Amino acid sequence: MKTYLATMFAGAALVAFTGMAVAHHSFAMFDQEHPQEVTGVVKEYKYTSPHSFIILEIKDKDGTAEAWNLEGGSPSALARDGWTSKSLKPGDEVQLTMEPLRSGAPGGAWNVNKIKFKDGKPIAAKTQ
Amino acid sequence: MVRPGSVSTFTLRVAPLLAALCIPIAGAAAEDSKYPDLKGQWNRTFVPRWTVGQEKPPLTPEYQKVYEANLADMANGGPGNVPSWYCLPQGMPMMMNAYDPMEVIVAPETTYILISHVNDSYRRIYTDGRKWPDPETTLPVFSGYSIGKWIDEDGDGKYDVLEVETRFIRAPHTYDAQGIPFHGDNQAVIKERIYLDKADKDLLHDDITSIDHALTGPWTKNRTYKRNPNPQPVWLEEACAGDNAMVKIGNDPYFLSPDGRLMPTRKDQAPPDTRYFNRKK
Repeated sequence: MKTYLATMFAGAALVAFTGMAVAHHSFAMFDQEHPQEVTGVVKEYKYTSPHSFIILEIKDKDGTAEAWNLEGGSPSALARDGWTSKSLKPGDEVQLTMEPLRSGAPGGAWNVNKIKFKDGKPIAAKTQ
Repeated sequence: MVRPGSVSTFTLRVAPLLAALCIPIAGAAAEDSKYPDLKGQWNRTFVPRWTVGQEKPPLTPEYQKVYEANLADMANGGPGNVPSWYCLPQGMPMMMNAYDPMEVIVAPETTYILISHVNDSYRRIYTDGRKWPDPETTLPVFSGYSIGKWIDEDGDGKYDVLEVETRFIRAPHTYDAQGIPFHGDNQAVIKERIYLDKADKDLLHDDITSIDHALTGPWTKNRTYKRNPNPQPVWLEEACAGDNAMVKIGNDPYFLSPDGRLMPTRKDQAPPDTRYFNRKK
């Protein structure tokens, strides 16, 4: 068990240290220098390979809602952080820091270390 | 012995084939098998990049410019010629970054390396003593054509090292997601030494040497993988095309919106060329 936990910790540490940089493709299309903190309503949570997605409805400052396609880690990486296919469901309100597409279109990237429910509760205990 | 619970869907696909061909799986032989125990789930222990920090890849001046162009393309929102961006297999040697866990199945005449990331990917390393096939008729493929040889280095009657050479690797392929390029001539040769650590039998080494016309000389990296102590690891299927949001049309990358429409990844990016739609008869 000790070895098992050590391996899990090492894996989690690697993911936490390197974040999305360890992905199989570059995340440079997302503007990592200008992250945005947003709150929105989950329309769909796709626990899919090779990357997960959250379809998040976000209201702009004028109150107009728009659905954003936000790419996250792989299911295996999410699982190491305690996430499952049931971690989010439609209607959940979350706050997260996303890195938007450089083009300004409603797409971006999210990270397990920078997301929680709107009321501040953690989504998965391991990542808080 | 193949450990119950360590059998993936991939293994289930391969095992009937082996059975049909009457090829025994080495792991299923007696405990005193002459092959090393490589069963289980292997997880990488390294950051999956060929260069880290200030390290520079040993590229020729020509391919250093290609690399810089890839970096510039990615900084502008493009894929940087990294094929897995749009769901192509990562191929050799990038797949050995093991973005997801790896399984190694040893049979006397073939060793299989299974890695499900982007897509279910596999390598067949032939250890049956065959010669290289005719280059004129051999189709390059992303994982390449691998011939291996088991070596008993310490003379104890058991194999210690699997030496592998891989040729016929299809372009485009890179070393990692940074876009470090290979030459486009499909002449790259990858040599590997795969072996268990002498002090830690749950640590697997792969010394990977790349020989390619885009390099100034052979380039060697050691990759290590830790065996998951969980006797019943989970293996996931991957089918990139099912949910990938990144699309390449012509040479331009796009990102899909939640409703499946194309969105630009680059600032001021033009929409795709639609000249073949609504043609007048």
